[in-house]
Amino acid sequence: MFDRSIVERRLELDPGWRRRRRLAAFERFSQLEPPSEREELWRYVELDFSLGDFELPEGPGRPIETDAVAAALAPVASIRVVDGFGADARAEVEGLVVGALAAHDGTTPSPERAVERAGIEPDDHFAAAHEAFTVDGAFIHAARGTRVPGPVYVDVQLTGSGIAAFPAVVLHAEPSTELPVVVHLRSPDGEYGFAAPHVVVLAEDGAVVSLTILQEWGSEVRAVGRVRFAADRDAVVRFTEVGLGGRYARVRLDGDLVGPGAEADVVGAYFGENHQVLDYRYHMRHAAPHTRSDMFLKGAVEDEASSVFTGLIRIEEEGQKTEAFQTNRNLILSKGASAQSVPNLEILANDVKCGHGSTVGPLDEEQRYYLMSRGLSAAQADRLQIRGFFEEAIARMPHHALAPIVRERLNRKFVEAQEEGRL
Amino acid sequence: MTAALVVDDLHARLGDLEILRGVDLEVPFGEIHALMGPNGSGKSTLCHVLTGKEEYAASGSARVADVELLGKSVDERARAGLFHAFQYPVEVPGVTLDDLLGELALLADDPEDFWRRVDEMSERLRMEPFRARAINVGLSGGEKKRSEMFQLAVLSPRAAVLDEIDSGLDIDAVREVAEIVESLRSPELGMLLITHYNRILRYLRPDRIHVMVGGRIVASGGPELAERLEAEGYESFQ
Ligand SMILES: Nc1ncnc2c1ncn2[C@@H]1O[C@H](COP(=O)(O)OP(=O)(O)OP(=O)(O)O)[C@@H](O)[C@H]1O
Ligand SMILES: [Mg+2]
Repeated sequence: MFDRSIVERRLELDPGWRRRRRLAAFERFSQLEPPSEREELWRYVELDFSLGDFELPEGPGRPIETDAVAAALAPVASIRVVDGFGADARAEVEGLVVGALAAHDGTTPSPERAVERAGIEPDDHFAAAHEAFTVDGAFIHAARGTRVPGPVYVDVQLTGSGIAAFPAVVLHAEPSTELPVVVHLRSPDGEYGFAAPHVVVLAEDGAVVSLTILQEWGSEVRAVGRVRFAADRDAVVRFTEVGLGGRYARVRLDGDLVGPGAEADVVGAYFGENHQVLDYRYHMRHAAPHTRSDMFLKGAVEDEASSVFTGLIRIEEEGQKTEAFQTNRNLILSKGASAQSVPNLEILANDVKCGHGSTVGPLDEEQRYYLMSRGLSAAQADRLQIRGFFEEAIARMPHHALAPIVRERLNRKFVEAQEEGRL
Repeated sequence: MTAALVVDDLHARLGDLEILRGVDLEVPFGEIHALMGPNGSGKSTLCHVLTGKEEYAASGSARVADVELLGKSVDERARAGLFHAFQYPVEVPGVTLDDLLGELALLADDPEDFWRRVDEMSERLRMEPFRARAINVGLSGGEKKRSEMFQLAVLSPRAAVLDEIDSGLDIDAVREVAEIVESLRSPELGMLLITHYNRILRYLRPDRIHVMVGGRIVASGGPELAERLEAEGYESFQ
């Protein structure tokens, strides 16, 4: 299935900029083994699937109906990517282009520049598979000076069982633009599927890009996601991921602050239940002076779920006068659940301000005691505490219209676990 | 008529450490009593043992409006009518006072009446700016105490233990807190006020004063007892 004949077919339809990347990626794919736990970037996880379990679909399945998220967001533009195929693009803002990557016909700006600057390299088995076998995705482009007044909604779906999809989302924010984007990942519960979404962001001088990924894969999806952004001079990238679904759901973030004064605010909130494995590998590279980054992730695991956060802040020699922080706090709600939290710093410059904090532990006894002393039951007190725990992350998320949904869906997982007697 | 709070030969230990060694105390309804004593004598421990903090092993008896507290969970004790204003109110990040009040309203007999009381008291205690803020997070010492008094006022307990609600406050704040406590005096409620300072006793009129030393009440008397303490210290009681 994952062989040269597929690649040949894809090449026939590829625009020029893609062809070279696809061929190189397939070369790498042929050489690379599936990752093992022995590799630093894959430590703490044992994969229970392989690409060979899945097939590449010939075309998109029947789309899943829109849900409350689209309504709450009131997007100014949207596109669907179903089983890796883009469709139904809509954009009504001057200076904003939203379209399927594959449909790009040369009349509109090309994704080439963004992919060249921030594209994901075929540096492991899954990334190489993505670059070799991807068919389509969404391309979102804001022309110089465009202020997009509301979010662009990218509805990425996996519709059937046994399917492997490699959807790509490419964002190009030209200088002095504002581009808010929400990527919604979803699929029906119980369907065994694979997705390797790649999200690429180029934020040019002074651009402000807010990107939220709302991850709601179905309960049997294995997802290996990559996000990479490049932020030029004075650009701001606000990246949020909310991890709710999936059996195994990974996000590897590579943030590159390449222009002086560039900033990144990274926020995360995740909740694992049953046998979920939520796997975050977040890297932030400061390659220019006066750059600033802040990572703030909060997660909870219950039942037999596990989570991994490994963070790396790397400050290059050029990164003088930078500030970089990372915080990862985890709640372990049941005996069988576990969380790994490993922040790292690599600092090559000498005039920087850095900090990191990481905690893994149960709900706070003192808080429970205090709230109960006011008359709340233990269950009520814990619900409040969980709410407060995630609230600190939600408050930092850029898409305020999404907050009620994020809050409700995170807390619902806790309340369900309580009601089912697991906590 | 039963008393608001009756403590009978109450003992409490923390592992091998015996902290309360037979406390006897009675606060009738409508009265305010003060409890004084040197650092480490067990005053806060008494509060926590009444509240039901798990780490202490307690024996004896403690009753609020005739309901035995020992053996009950923390929330059952609160619902039996006990309120404890903490010496060190706990910070609850991300949870606003209004979130807490919302949960408490669910437990109230008459939620509408509860909210009316909340609005009245938050105006009187100038709590409005704090209702949308996380509980005790970033509040000054005085603000934390006022928040505790506010919760006392809206919860309408039968017995309240107020642990050093005057510590760390400037003189105006002490007077304000004292006036709040005095204004909450009612035939439905008895209060035990723990303090190190006579100044708060100038603004409210305690009916009795108890002195705790080494985990026991060693003296009880009228307001004149506070003056004797002021003059002689605790040494003469040891
Ligand atoms: N959780 C605990 N761990 C260790 N020791 C404790 C604990 N709780 C109480 N103690 C000890 O018990 C004794 C009584 O403490 P408690 O806090 O009740 O005193 P207090 O009278 O309230 O003092 P203060 O006036 O300083 O507030 C002290 O010696 C204290 O160190
Ligand atoms: Mg004390």
